[in-house]
Amino acid sequence: MKKIYLASAAALALSASGALADGHINHIFPVGEGEFNWDSYTAYADAFDLSGQELTMTGPWTGDDAELVNAVLDYFESATGATVQYSGSDSFETDIVVATQAGSAPNIAVFPQPGLMTDLASRGFLTPLAPETADWVRENYAAGESWVSLGTAANAAGEEALYGFFYKVDLKSLVWYSPEAFDEAGYDIPETMEDLLALNDQIVEDGATPWCIGLGSGGATGWPATDWVEDIMLRTQSPDVYDAWVANEIPFDAPEVVNAIETFGVFARNGDYVNGGVEAVSSTDFRESPLGLFTFPAECYLHRQASFIPTFFPEDADVDFFYFPAFEGEDLGSPVLGAGTLFGITQDSEAAQAFMAFLQTEISHEVWMAQSGFLTPHTGVNSELFASDTLRQMNDILLGATTFRFDASDLMPSEIGQGIFWSGMVDYVGGEDAASVAARIQDRWAEIQ
Amino acid sequence: MSPILQGIITIIVGVGGCVGYFYFANLFLDKVLFPAKGPNAGRNINRANQIRPWVFLFPAIFALGLYLMYPVVGSFIRSLYDRSGDEFVGAGNYIRLFNNPDFRTAFLNNILWALVVPALSTFMGLLIAQLTDRLKWGNIAKSIIFMPMAISFVGASLIWKFVYAQDPDLGIINAIRTSFGGDPVDPLQIPFWNNFLLMFILVWIQTGFAMVILSAALRGVPEETIEAAIIDGANPFQVFFKIKVPQIIGTIVVVWTTITILVLKVFDIVYTMTGGNYGTEILPSFMMDFMFRDDGQATAVAFVIMLVVLPVMIWNILQARKEMR
Repeated sequence: MKKIYLASAAALALSASGALADGHINHIFPVGEGEFNWDSYTAYADAFDLSGQELTMTGPWTGDDAELVNAVLDYFESATGATVQYSGSDSFETDIVVATQAGSAPNIAVFPQPGLMTDLASRGFLTPLAPETADWVRENYAAGESWVSLGTAANAAGEEALYGFFYKVDLKSLVWYSPEAFDEAGYDIPETMEDLLALNDQIVEDGATPWCIGLGSGGATGWPATDWVEDIMLRTQSPDVYDAWVANEIPFDAPEVVNAIETFGVFARNGDYVNGGVEAVSSTDFRESPLGLFTFPAECYLHRQASFIPTFFPEDADVDFFYFPAFEGEDLGSPVLGAGTLFGITQDSEAAQAFMAFLQTEISHEVWMAQSGFLTPHTGVNSELFASDTLRQMNDILLGATTFRFDASDLMPSEIGQGIFWSGMVDYVGGEDAASVAARIQDRWAEIQ
Repeated sequence: MSPILQGIITIIVGVGGCVGYFYFANLFLDKVLFPAKGPNAGRNINRANQIRPWVFLFPAIFALGLYLMYPVVGSFIRSLYDRSGDEFVGAGNYIRLFNNPDFRTAFLNNILWALVVPALSTFMGLLIAQLTDRLKWGNIAKSIIFMPMAISFVGASLIWKFVYAQDPDLGIINAIRTSFGGDPVDPLQIPFWNNFLLMFILVWIQTGFAMVILSAALRGVPEETIEAAIIDGANPFQVFFKIKVPQIIGTIVVVWTTITILVLKVFDIVYTMTGGNYGTEILPSFMMDFMFRDDGQATAVAFVIMLVVLPVMIWNILQARKEMR
């Protein structure tokens, strides 16, 4: 990664003229080089001129992720002449609500999930995307229709429109491991959940710890646990039950859900299974918890987390992943859990509309793809550009899925999915029993209906 | 328009507006409304003087009303409506709150905070002020103790997150525990006691404030009374508790109430350290859970907080007035 960057910086230094006449911007990949779809970039640059305009944007990406998104935004800036102010926030979910209500919203908001976007759209804080966008998504995204329906919301008057444009999709049903550590210990990749549970005990028997689990995430502490529960729901119940759960057609404290929470507890509430003991589960930051995979000797062998997590791995990490397996006994095929970020317009402007068009260019996807931790349903991109085989293999998991479901907590009302579900999971890991946690969540849900 | 020009114009308009208001209001009162001439000259002067303070106070009262009273009344009305503000639910939000176990935890925790933090900060501040007073390096010690005041609550929380860390290589509590052969624990997950660990962060920040004010007050205690007490054979403890403390009790009360009011507002520490989990929720962080999602509930919590602060405020004002007499 660093090498590419240095090489491109060197190339820039040598060719700092001509095409880069306005070249105060240091592109991470020089325009015109490599297998990128540069045509999409030049066509876009010819079509839009936003010189002197400013575009403000907030999103949940901070730290390394902010650098990655800024690398993409550089291309938008150089193509249009506009300047982009991106600011990331760890507590994006509250910040954006405050900003919209106070009338100080940025032009563009990057929503980590559709629930919050739907909320804001229904209160009239979002501008619908250009009418042709929905058709574009249907044509150019794999399973386009589902992305359109997830990005569609109703405004205050109940009129439905497309408000959110999906960009950067995450695949969640992944277990990360270090192949080297696995080889050394002689472990095999588990094909079924039964194998995985057997592997847990095997690792404990060998005197090591199977899992690194971290739920810490500031005010959002607890969310990684909701992913576990959702993944387990898909592996223990039919997709219909999952959908009914998301829509609260079955109560949150239904036995199916309680069972899924308790199955999560099999992993997280067993001090022998988790690095640092049960207490460390809820206090360890989710960004730091996978680091245990890469210590020597390994603090843990397995880490279940979505496809974005390599951003937080050490630079030269030896890492691979496998599909979080399904129960052989349940016969539910191989379900896959996913999620994604959506761009929405919180403050309409010419630049904001133009930016939405930029997201439809191949290059805006490829620049991030070629760095790290990025998956896209955009079918036009050159999949050779994925930074690693790892990322390319994730596509295969997506293709091999018999069921694809969107992150449930992201689809629930934000008060549940981004509130009490999180803190409830922390309470559960802390020792409260699953049934009473679930009942409390259901009570809150009943209140807001 | 350049920002500097903008600033200058703002200053001119603002200051000029103020001066103009007072000048013309006075002029209007004295020349037009109640002119000091004609048959009623004497009565008019008296009348004008009765009204004058109100005319001068009007901008302040108006601003207070607009920025203080209006939001208070507005929030109260808001707290009587449902989550989106469409439907009148009366006391429904309050009833729901008191039936919510999380609210009860937050309420009790907050009372604990309001009792412990001001008491401890004031006590430590007073102690340090007294102890460092005669030391040669006392001023250096004071500066160091005052320093946390300059750190934001979030910054302070991050520092203490390391102090309380579960990793014995980082966290001092676990470093001590493991050196005696114990297993590391997460101090922030110990029920009930974790509240005190969080409170201590605020004590750490506020002790410097208490110390500075109380140190100044202690210096204001007349030497004569202390000398007289010493000649009468008072020991240092008696001098401190029977001579000095009674003379600065007014300042102690002010410091105490200031910190109490701060306690009822602070939420950053809980929010950054535990996010309100593990039973450490306090009212302001509990309010954050509802804010921008269920405005009715959130304003109801805000109102409860205000009702809790009110007695402290009233007591504070009474004390301040007693002092002035």
